Amino acid sequence: MPSHVTKGWIEKEALPFLKMNPSEFPCLDFSKTVSLDSAGTALLLFLGKQRFDIGKKLVLKNISPQLKNTLENIRIGERKLIGPQKKESLFARTGTALMGGKQKAELGISMLAELLYWASLGLFKRRDFRKGVFEQQMFLMGYKAFGIVALLSFLIGMVLALQAALQLEKFGAGIFLAPMITISMIKELGPLLAAIILTGRSGSAITAEIATMVVGEEIDALRTMGINPLQFVAVPKLFALSITMPILSLIASLVGVLAGFLVAVLYLDISINLMIGEIIKSIYVHDVLANVVKSMVFSWLIVWIGSFHGFRVHGGAEAVGKETTLSVVNGIFIIICADAVFSFVF
Amino acid sequence: MNTTTSPILSVHDVCVRYADRLVLDNVSLNVDPAEIRVILGPSGCGKTTLLKTMVGLLSPVSGSVSLFGQTLGELDSPQSMDLLKKVGILFQNGALLGSITVAQNVGLPLEMHTILDAKIIEEIVEFKLSQVGMLHAKDMLPQELSGGMRKRAALARALALDPPLLFCDEPSAGLDPVTAAGLDDLLLTLRKQLSITIVVVTHELASIKLIADNVVFLYSGSVLYEGKLSGAENAQSGPMNDFFQRIFRVSTVSGMNASALFDMETRQ
Repeated sequence: MPSHVTKGWIEKEALPFLKMNPSEFPCLDFSKTVSLDSAGTALLLFLGKQRFDIGKKLVLKNISPQLKNTLENIRIGERKLIGPQKKESLFARTGTALMGGKQKAELGISMLAELLYWASLGLFKRRDFRKGVFEQQMFLMGYKAFGIVALLSFLIGMVLALQAALQLEKFGAGIFLAPMITISMIKELGPLLAAIILTGRSGSAITAEIATMVVGEEIDALRTMGINPLQFVAVPKLFALSITMPILSLIASLVGVLAGFLVAVLYLDISINLMIGEIIKSIYVHDVLANVVKSMVFSWLIVWIGSFHGFRVHGGAEAVGKETTLSVVNGIFIIICADAVFSFVF
Repeated sequence: MNTTTSPILSVHDVCVRYADRLVLDNVSLNVDPAEIRVILGPSGCGKTTLLKTMVGLLSPVSGSVSLFGQTLGELDSPQSMDLLKKVGILFQNGALLGSITVAQNVGLPLEMHTILDAKIIEEIVEFKLSQVGMLHAKDMLPQELSGGMRKRAALARALALDPPLLFCDEPSAGLDPVTAAGLDDLLLTLRKQLSITIVVVTHELASIKLIADNVVFLYSGSVLYEGKLSGAENAQSGPMNDFFQRIFRVSTVSGMNASALFDMETRQ
């Protein structure tokens, strides 16, 4: 070893040491060495730990008493002999992943059951939510979402109507734009659009809020105050969204139809009265009912997925972000799956 | 005033596991009414885990915890929630709900568990906040408070329902010595005024000396000592001696010595 095992020497010469197999480390001769800085010490500690992990020690020959004393007074974290690590087989990894998935599914289903219980029968046993919180949640998750839901529905309705109008015009069937846009918006796109927007807006907010409360021990504090956290935090959101979501869904559908109406009148030159008549004729009670039922179920899914990801968070700020992202992705996925199931029902 | 001599809190042979790691190993202890019991030990020895187990936030894999003579594991969820109304907990960082004011935080347990009129609740809140010297901050949000103020407000919330048993998780952690001493004085005053039992988890020696009637020394998840502080301090060797030596040296080093990695031959 050189006379100064310091940063300058480490930068130039230490790479071969770092690449070396721990079992092949030579004895290090310190007969010329007079100084050792933090970088030099770090190199020795790194090499020493590599040797320690295979049950051997790093031999330092002819070291000066001062340097020996320096090294002896350094405290490091506890290390145990770990020996050679065995790589887990593909079979074991698949099994672990499947068991993890099963556990998550069980947790999710039990949380859904608990949420529905505390929002229905459980209300007769206890009501762990504060006065005014329901109205506050309706304002935050419903009223505040009105603008974005209406705007996006208008734009999507317009794009859909324009694309359809281009094709229908070729066959002189422009008037069929009215039933097409009305039925698709009321039965399908209105609830789906509102649900996707609210998953991104409210679902993520639910997860972030609950996850932050978990990390800050607020959920534990609620439990120890004898307050059911699920009823305190999630149930008011469930009620609020159960009411505001069908309203937003109907608004989304109506705005989408309005966009179609404007395209028909302005682009296809269809008379206003004829278009209004055709739109009214295309509104069926069954479709409106489907709109309301679908959107209500979607609202439950949004609160469920949001709460599930919020309550399962472990760790700090990074985990909150990760769970929030997962909540939006899984929420949209489950809503689209549920919509596919509804397509068979309605 | 509680006249019974039976313990208010009993922990019997409790074992707690996090995945494969045994965090508490056959821990047993009894806390008598109106006692201040301090659970101490080095970082990572299982103090907070024990506290969380004692209030039912963690379930032991074996053993049992009894509060006021009722075993936590034998109660259904509503029963254990009712039992927890008799317990106040001061969390390490206060754990005040961030979306509501200090006064609303303190009033929350009263709002949830009583049918008292809002005006009476407001009076109780003001009384509790004045007890901890936080009345001036009643309309502030938790994020506007300093660490010490947050802990005081959290203490007021923990005392809102006049619980006979109070748990405090590291009450002086992160506080300057003056604020920490103030909080300790407050705990002593509360015990004197209300005759409540207090279980404190801490490793602040100054705080332990000031408030503890008895201590429990935890080491690697096991109870190493239970009794007066002087008994633990006088240990001549072993982890307890090491712990107190380190406290007096105000040292933060831990782990093993680097010499274990090397075979050193000194130059002649």
